[in-house]
Amino acid sequence: MNAGNAVVIDNLSRHFRSFKAVDRISLEVRTGETFGFLGANGAGKTTTIRMLCGLLSPTSGTGTVAGFDINRQAEEIKKSIGYMSQKFSLYPDLTGKENLSFYGAAYGLTRQEVRERTAELTDRLSLGDFIDRLTKSLPVGWRQRLALGVSLLHRPRILFLDEPTSGVDPVFRRKFWQILYELAEEGVTVFVTTHYMDEAEYCGRISIMHQGRIVEAGQPYELIRKHRSENLEELFIDLIKNRETLNAEA
Amino acid sequence: MQKLRFLAQKEFRHILRDPRSLVIVVVMPIMMTFLYGYAISLDVDNIVIGVIDYDRTDESQQLIDRFYNSAYFSKPDVNSESTDPETWLLSSEAKAVMIIKPGFAGSLRERSDFSLGMIVDGSDNTVAAAVQNYASAVVSKYALDQIPVGRDIPGITISTQVLYNPDLESSHFFVPGLVAIILMMISALLTSITIAREKETGTMEQLLTAPVTPVQIIIGKILPYVGLALLDGILVLVFAKIVFGVPFVGSYLLLLAFGLIYVSAALSIGILISSLVKTQQVAMMFALVTTLLPSVMLSGLVFAIRNMPPVLQGLAQIVPAKYFVTVIRGIMLKGAGLGTLALNGLALLLLMAFLMTVAARKFNTRID
Amino acid sequence: MNKAFWGLVRKEFIQVFRDRNMLRIVFAVPIIQLLLFGYVVKLDVKNIRMDVYDFDQSRLSREFVNSTSAGEYFLPTPAQIAILDLEANFQDGSRDMALIIPDGFGKGLESHQNVTIGLVADGSDANMTAIGSGYMARMAQKYARDVVNLRMPLEVKYDVLYNPEAESVYFMVPGIVATLLTMVTIMLTSMAIVRERESGTLEQLLVTPISSTTLLFGKVFPFAVLGLFEMTVALVVGVLWFDIPFVGSPVLLFGLSALYLLTTLGLGLFFSTVTSTQQQAMFFAWFFSVFAILTSGFFTPVWNMPKWLQYVTYVNPMRFFMNIVRGIMMKGAGVTHLLPDIYTLAIFGVIVFGFSAARFSKRAR
Repeated sequence: MNAGNAVVIDNLSRHFRSFKAVDRISLEVRTGETFGFLGANGAGKTTTIRMLCGLLSPTSGTGTVAGFDINRQAEEIKKSIGYMSQKFSLYPDLTGKENLSFYGAAYGLTRQEVRERTAELTDRLSLGDFIDRLTKSLPVGWRQRLALGVSLLHRPRILFLDEPTSGVDPVFRRKFWQILYELAEEGVTVFVTTHYMDEAEYCGRISIMHQGRIVEAGQPYELIRKHRSENLEELFIDLIKNRETLNAEA
Repeated sequence: MQKLRFLAQKEFRHILRDPRSLVIVVVMPIMMTFLYGYAISLDVDNIVIGVIDYDRTDESQQLIDRFYNSAYFSKPDVNSESTDPETWLLSSEAKAVMIIKPGFAGSLRERSDFSLGMIVDGSDNTVAAAVQNYASAVVSKYALDQIPVGRDIPGITISTQVLYNPDLESSHFFVPGLVAIILMMISALLTSITIAREKETGTMEQLLTAPVTPVQIIIGKILPYVGLALLDGILVLVFAKIVFGVPFVGSYLLLLAFGLIYVSAALSIGILISSLVKTQQVAMMFALVTTLLPSVMLSGLVFAIRNMPPVLQGLAQIVPAKYFVTVIRGIMLKGAGLGTLALNGLALLLLMAFLMTVAARKFNTRID
Repeated sequence: MNKAFWGLVRKEFIQVFRDRNMLRIVFAVPIIQLLLFGYVVKLDVKNIRMDVYDFDQSRLSREFVNSTSAGEYFLPTPAQIAILDLEANFQDGSRDMALIIPDGFGKGLESHQNVTIGLVADGSDANMTAIGSGYMARMAQKYARDVVNLRMPLEVKYDVLYNPEAESVYFMVPGIVATLLTMVTIMLTSMAIVRERESGTLEQLLVTPISSTTLLFGKVFPFAVLGLFEMTVALVVGVLWFDIPFVGSPVLLFGLSALYLLTTLGLGLFFSTVTSTQQQAMFFAWFFSVFAILTSGFFTPVWNMPKWLQYVTYVNPMRFFMNIVRGIMMKGAGVTHLLPDIYTLAIFGVIVFGFSAARFSKRAR
């Protein structure tokens, strides 16, 4: 195993009955990298992330997260990662603080630790007074920040974010990415899926997924140059179109 | 008319695609018919009774045989030679234990007084009452048979005439009344849920922006349920006839007329509920508490209204199911005509008129 | 993983106390159910409304009619309509029976003859008819003997144990206690788990290092507590409001209730694994409860059902618990008397909870 890699996947597949949601993909994410995982809806991004977080077991293939085997050491992986799903996943009838302290307990933190980190995260994510309001009464942007707070509570080394900014206004998105940058600077590996192409440009490296396969991977600007595209959006559309014509011919 | 048809068609699709409403419409009536027909049989027979016979004579054995040969009593499964009768009752192996003390046969011959002991498990008071009734009957019959013929004993013979249900089948009593519950469930519960759903998903707003009037929407929405309710009513009646052999003595037409009044009242409740609540969940809770619960508990379906405290008897007067249960039993089992059911019909009509007015008022103010 | 467990429990309680619907289920429902059932569910035949046609109009006939009103079994009233129309009062359900005393009743009795009276019953209510005519027979016999001072040499001395006052409520309240515990725990457990799945928080929980065992127990424990709390409320109201005697050991009752909870919580878990929305879960739980209540012996004794239905009741855990609750509360039964029920519940608990827990954990993985 390469010590410099936070995530390594080799020939990973996941089938749902005859449907190949993820089809023999391989990739590496280096420690401290901000890695963008792109793809259209239904391309297999969420399935991949779920396998990496130990929520789904792979049909075949191997992989490691933080050096632990995804097939056998899911419990170890869970201790070292943070996860924020595309679905809003906090308890709507608990306040922000109650959500944080509950998940703190879930990660086995002491009360003291929970208190310290809640204060720290409130400050860092500028949650302010919102932390004492019922989560369901919060605007979407604040909820997303709170969800990020929950996934950071136990100071994970790797952060999996599944479309964290969907449905959030541009100002909030900017703020959100600033926080992610800060985290990356502290050495946290960020693995993020998105379909906002401007966000993808913030990533150190990206991979583009289509119908369960990875069709392209590399640094955003290198890829634009390589395919002679104007920008990432055009690159993305071209790649998918190519794939579809190939499929049609085959 | 065209619009109504489309609205109704859409509603049918909802019903067919939602497994929950299918369960309510199809499975529930069948299950309830079976459970009410079989599980709620109140006639008590085959009561397990243990006997401890210290006399051990031919006479005592004769008496015991009288008990076990009657339809009311049966022997305990385990013929435990336990001398502590209470153990039998505590472990529910028997509902009563008869104790024949020594000297039974002797005092019979000498015509001296003798009392048999009977320890009864009183926890279920209905069963305890039945035990006492039946046991006394068996014993006094036995005693009278010991008195030599020729002596004049005065007596009152009761010539009982049982009308309508001479075989005394419990199911004949419960199954027709079920129609009241099922009509209520479909008309009130399902309609309130379906209107609440349109509100919840926002399709109600969408519908109202279309050129249909609120009245059309409501009629289009409830028509399918009226149809389903009637179908289910028929389904239960067919089951009642085929499975339980419940006769139908009276007029179908009269029952249908009463059924329509009842269904209208129930639909009004459904619409009223839906205009008061916002979500399906709350609609369901509300409908269960305000319609199903009183319809089962206060309608006289299972529990006699005459045995309730006055407050609840008063409350029962405003439960539509109370009148419909009486009406359907009257028509099906007793062949009652319009004349005898006039008061019930009037009460039902008044309730319906009241509910409809309130529902229409509420609904109009909600949608503007 | 103690911390995670208590974290789950605390969170669950906060959620219950913040949800108005849940609060209603937990606090209002038991009390309403208890009062309603306590007053309504009476299966004893009493207050039979009886039209009396007394064609004799003698002292004895009036005395006899009066004697039938003893013990609240009959409510005799002089008939207001002609005897040929007597059916009308049955058809609209306003009378249950009619008693016809022919001319010559008094004279006949006085001259030690056998007289015949007529009893017409609305047989549609089979139970009322059977029991009511039994009462009438007993009363008539007794009256005839009293008139001539005939003493029966053989009589039965009844010794009614446990509920000598023959109060329906005493019998129903223990039943309601069993019903509440069943319904509340199954419904709340399945809904609470499904809600986590619906809102996506279950997924968030599963990426935490909480073990599936901790998760499982953290989810069901609060509802076990709530269920026992409900039961306590029902017991307190029953004892204070309805004056129910509690003969047996409360400790034994709570201990065996805990054993029974294994089954109901397991069922709640199971329903949560086969449904995807709270509504579905509630629906399943409700559906099961209807079946369980009707076949538990709550209203009518199991041994009185048709044979095939009696076999069906063996798969209903509530049936055994019902027996335990009534046995302990009303009769003061001890462990030895309830052994078969206890064994059955233990087996149910291990199988149902084990199976559901395995299913839940497998899905959680």
